[in-house]
Amino acid sequence: MAFSMKLPFVDVVCDESLKNTYVNGEKLGYEFQIRLSNYRGHFLSCIEEFVVTVDGQVVNSDDITFSLNEKEFTLRQLPSLISEFWNLSDPATISVFALGGLTEGEHHIDVKMMLRIPYMAVPGSKKEHDYAQLDSCGSKTLLVRD
Amino acid sequence: MSNIKLGVSLYSFTDEYVKGTFTLEDCIRTAAEFGAEGFELVGTQMLPSYPYVSDKVLNEFKAMTNHYGIEFVSYGANADRGLRSDRDLTEEELLQSSIIDLKTANKLGCKIMRAQYLIGPSVFAKLAPYAEAYGVKVGIEIHNPETPTSPNIQKFTEVIEKTGSPYLGFVTDFGTFATRPNKPHWDEALENGAPLELLEMAAQLRYDGVPMMEARQRLLETGANGAVMGAFQGMYGFVTFYNEPDYEGLKQIMPHVIHFHGKFHYIDENLEEASIPYDKILPIIQNSNFDGYIVSEYEDHLSGRALEMTKRHLQMERKILNK
Repeated sequence: MAFSMKLPFVDVVCDESLKNTYVNGEKLGYEFQIRLSNYRGHFLSCIEEFVVTVDGQVVNSDDITFSLNEKEFTLRQLPSLISEFWNLSDPATISVFALGGLTEGEHHIDVKMMLRIPYMAVPGSKKEHDYAQLDSCGSKTLLVRD
Repeated sequence: MSNIKLGVSLYSFTDEYVKGTFTLEDCIRTAAEFGAEGFELVGTQMLPSYPYVSDKVLNEFKAMTNHYGIEFVSYGANADRGLRSDRDLTEEELLQSSIIDLKTANKLGCKIMRAQYLIGPSVFAKLAPYAEAYGVKVGIEIHNPETPTSPNIQKFTEVIEKTGSPYLGFVTDFGTFATRPNKPHWDEALENGAPLELLEMAAQLRYDGVPMMEARQRLLETGANGAVMGAFQGMYGFVTFYNEPDYEGLKQIMPHVIHFHGKFHYIDENLEEASIPYDKILPIIQNSNFDGYIVSEYEDHLSGRALEMTKRHLQMERKILNK
């Protein structure tokens, strides 16, 4: 079993951050913000698992982008972002492509985010590149804004 | 004759900073208000342009240190050997990123850089000429469960002695001299339903030096629950403790110690740390030729007591040192 730790300093899914997004006057999706719940920041290459579930339905990872440091990344890019640092105090914006956006009202947003702790080998492990994981998962029910 | 200066590691204010109740400036101002002459900052935690220093960030730091009359003493560097998804960084890559860290420390005006032992002894040796060139001393952190003379640390002592460079040394964390179980962990375990006698049994097994696997087995056979086993992990790990801490080892390596992390978890109204014997450690430093900082490093972040505890920590140090 993987060895993981959780440091619940902040809510991962940010309050009041859910809103529908418009392109050419049409609702083309939605976005919300997340924080890293940890005592230090990490390079984005340390994100090992990133799954978004909205109202119980897993969102296709190719419909999601991860925006930080004034750049927008695809989830497939994350493992190679060894020089893109996620500062502890900065929220990242998660954008989802979904024609018509979200219906009016509340929606349950769940984020599974597991990171490699790049300096903490699994206790007792003799293998190379075998690190403990940081559990920065979170979920929240948010009212969508238009 | 020693010359001990007291500082604060802004890491002490982790909870306040992450939750946004403190800005970076609040952290620096509070350290100054508590009477710290200098501060340390962990790059991955509070350097806004990590791992580099932008002009804007540098000027902001200059304005804050000038205004509050406090020195930016030490830069906490990290060794993220597992940065890449596909493999560990090579020694060459770790060396190169440590040189970037040295440049950052130099730009920030720090004279000390904390390095993690994960960089390994050979990278540490290769850093010497760069440390000299940038005028920043690099100290390998000695953190529990390592001690001043544990085998992992001895490899670094050999490097320091072999290179003979005064720019290589140690940053010693007071936690390595703990004589009692960590109080916040102990209290938390009790709250979560750990029977007191089983916690005491776990502590006794550690005092008796019973090997971890055997101790674990004996606790489980006696019916230890998850709360006991959680505390037990710490007792054999990052918050371990000893009947006889390695004071002699500290005296031996004192000529190489460039900086101290004054680790603390709980200080009572009588200004006593619950598990770390400051009254024994501080005189050893006072009676050496140490010229540098002890920075207060609080580590029970989620307690919400950081401000009160850090203030008490400095008062405790001044009392023992007659400062």
